[in-house]
This record gives sequence, C-alpha cells and structure tokens, in this order.
Amino acid sequence: MLNIQTRQEGNASVVTIQGKVNFEVTAQLRDVIRDTVTTLLPKLLVINLEGVSFIDSSGLGLLVAARNSVDKNSGKLHLCGLPPQVKKTFDQTNLTNYFSIFATEQDALRGA
Amino acid sequence: MHKGLVLVVDDEAPIRDILSFYLKRAGYQVLLAENGRQALEEMAKLQPDLIISDLRMPEIAGDEFCQIVKGDPATRDIYFVLVSAMDGSASRIGGLNLGADDMIAKPFHAQEVMAKVASAFRIIQMQKEIKRQNQILTRFQERMTAELSLAAKLQMGLLPEAPGEVSCLRYYHRYLPAEGIGGDIYAISTALDGGVAIMIADVSGHGVTAALISAMVKTSFSNQIQLSSNPREWAEGMNLDLVNNTLEEQFATAFLGHFDPEANLLRYVVAGHEPPFRIPVGAAPEALKGKGFMLGIDASLPFMELSAPFEPGDRIILYTDGLVEVEREDREYLGNDGLMSYCAQLPSDGEAAVEQLLEQARAFHSPNPFVDDVTLVLLDRAR
Repeated sequence: MLNIQTRQEGNASVVTIQGKVNFEVTAQLRDVIRDTVTTLLPKLLVINLEGVSFIDSSGLGLLVAARNSVDKNSGKLHLCGLPPQVKKTFDQTNLTNYFSIFATEQDALRGA
Repeated sequence: MHKGLVLVVDDEAPIRDILSFYLKRAGYQVLLAENGRQALEEMAKLQPDLIISDLRMPEIAGDEFCQIVKGDPATRDIYFVLVSAMDGSASRIGGLNLGADDMIAKPFHAQEVMAKVASAFRIIQMQKEIKRQNQILTRFQERMTAELSLAAKLQMGLLPEAPGEVSCLRYYHRYLPAEGIGGDIYAISTALDGGVAIMIADVSGHGVTAALISAMVKTSFSNQIQLSSNPREWAEGMNLDLVNNTLEEQFATAFLGHFDPEANLLRYVVAGHEPPFRIPVGAAPEALKGKGFMLGIDASLPFMELSAPFEPGDRIILYTDGLVEVEREDREYLGNDGLMSYCAQLPSDGEAAVEQLLEQARAFHSPNPFVDDVTLVLLDRAR
C-alpha cells in the first residue's frame, strides 16, 4: 500500500510518500508528481521519503524523471527523510550525489 | 432472426401447445418433447438455449432429465427451468439442488412463464458474451505466452554459453528471469587489447521492456569494447547510448571490468551496481566497491575507474540485486554482506560453487521465492 499526500508550503510543493515504492505503484506516484509539477510549477518540490520502507529501481527512475521535469521549469527538487534502507539504495547507486538530500522536511524547505 | 431456441418438455399436450403459442408469438423458436427421453433425442439434433421441463413425466422424468443435462459438459450451460406442481419451498430448493437454474410452480400464468423466459435470455446473452470475451482473452494469452517463450529463448541466446572460457578465465552462471524474460544481462569476451572485457547489468523494472533494453545494453557494450580497452570509456559510451535511446525512467546498473592477465589487474567501473566479490587464493573475500552513477540517467555524469588485483587462482563473483534482495517480514535482506559471507566457503569446482551460492541465497529467503531477475556469474582464473 502506498500513501501519497501533497500540500503547498508557500512557493514549495511537498509530496509525502509512505509505504513500499516498487514497480506496482510507480504509475500512481508518477501521476501525482506529474500533476504537481505541471499544474503548480513549483519553484521547489520537496519529496519526503520518511515513511518509505523500500524503493526499487523503478522508484529511483521515477525520482530521476521528477528531477528532470522540475529542472525544465527551472525549479529545484529536494529529497528528505531517507530511512536507512532507502539511504543504502541511494548510496549504492550514487544517487546521493545526484539529488539534493536533506535530513528533515524543514531543512528541505529552507534549502539549507 | 429469432430470439433463441426453447425446448418445451411436458407430457400434457395442452400445456405444450399453450407454451409453444406464447413463445412463438414472442419471437422464440420452439422444440417440443413429451418426456425426457424424447427431449434428449431432440437435443442430439439441435441444441436449445433454454429448456422448460415438467417434473412428472413418464420415461425419463424432469428431475432425472435435468441431472443428465447438467451433468454433461456439452449441455450443462443450457438454462434449465423446471416446472413442478408442488408449490412448497422444499420442492423449489430440491429442484435448484438438481442443478435447475429456475423453477416455475404449477399451475402457472403464461405471462409469468414469459417473464421468466425473458429474464433467462438476458442471462443467456450475458453468458454468451462472457464466453466470447473469454475465448478472445484465451487466444490472446496463448499468443502472448508463445511470443514470450520465443523472446525468452532469444534472450538466453544473448548470454555467453556457460561454462565457457575466455583467455585464462573460466566462467559459470545461473540466470533466472522473474517473468520468463528479464532485464539482467552479462557478457564476457576478448577485449581490443587482448585482455578480457566483462560486463554485468541490471535494467530497471522487469519483463518485456527491461528485456528489450538489456539487449540494447549488450549491443552497446559490444560496440564500446571495439573502440577502446578502457572501462571508464565504455561506461561513458554506454551511458550516452542509454540516455539517447531509452525513456527517462529507464536505466541500468552495471559493473564493467577489463582484465589484463599479464598485469594480473582488473580495472573496473561500478555504475550503481551491487559490488562484485574477489576471492583471492586462501584469503577472505572482498567487495569490489565503487561509487558510480547508473547508466542512462544523465549524459554529463562522470564515471570513476578503480582497480584490483586478479591473480592466478583468484575467483570473482558477479550478481544482480535480485539474488540478495527478497523481502521477508521477519528479517533483513540477505544483502551483499550476507552473500559475501557465503563466498568464504565455496567448493573449488566452479559449477558446484555457483549452485551452492544460489541455493544458499534461496534458502535464506525461503519460503519466499526470488521476485526479481536473478543473475549469478562466477569467474575462475586458472592457477
């Protein structure tokens, strides 16, 4: 079960994801992110992964695509709250160096 | 165009006549029979859509007739309405238990019968439509299964034939795609400078799309090793190929290695892939860790080349994440560390070693099966 919530914080859009991000649920998540990016054109998109227990390669692909689409609108993508298992996947794929990653949502929103 | 064929079975001629009259007036075609035996004879010639049968008849009675019709796979889908003089709920249930689809109590109004017939035909039409759709789906599924198995065969043909030898390396593998066809691929061949070029890759996702991309990854690798003997350049070239030729969410993790037997040296790039293990003779296994991006994310991302010794008698184990990542509620993943601990005690025979390693991983996840594509490759350097 994947739980996705979206909300606005000033100029920023925050997408909070909970559950397992794998092949079966990427379509659902892709729609939410696409809608957020294309309708709100956020200067900053924050994706909070605090409640994500697992992410597979299709989930990672989705985040890469999200960064690309935010880039096109000259916005920024910040990720935050990576649990250890997810952090490990990011480290292994070196995506830790591809994304801007923050410890907490507040940090991600401040961009600090 | 008649609305359907109804078989009326009753030993009383007036009832047959009345039902026949109303049915024909409503546009149905009608067959008549005096008892179950006659009815079965009629059915051998022409199969009705609906049977309205009396219960009490000589020769074969309605209950027995119903059981015969419902017991035969060729006729059991015919809608069966049993007409009975006993209007108690017990006999209704009894009739339905025989397999009849509906019951009518005697004496009946012709209108009541016609309403039941109309509703029966709505169900009959629905059943016919479902059957038709089902046939289409079955045929489609059969075709897809055949196509997939052909594609799977083709994909197996893309893998090196194992066990095999390139230069002083002997290689063994186990390849288990999750859906008959998958996104894992590996290759081993002679490099441009006479060394050995080694590649293992895992394309994101699984199934047909991943398989198509895995074929592209292999072609890209084959092209790159014709151009240089430098794994960092291979990674850059393959990265460009994937960025340019796949959709934005598709990419591959890969390990690319160049082995120089004279220098006893393995130069390699880890592109987001699980770290392979090197097992030196008489020493503990070590992970060939490296930090590199997956292939296909962005054309401008850099790749870093590392190196490790690869001496006579050494062994290298390559694998994809499907081998070490199977979820089990009650414990952590096997992970690279878990797999590496198994590598400390493997038989010296390569074939026996891949088998043991695969079975140990399988046993760790048990009772859960592998869910992703699994590839395991073992390279033994001759002493």
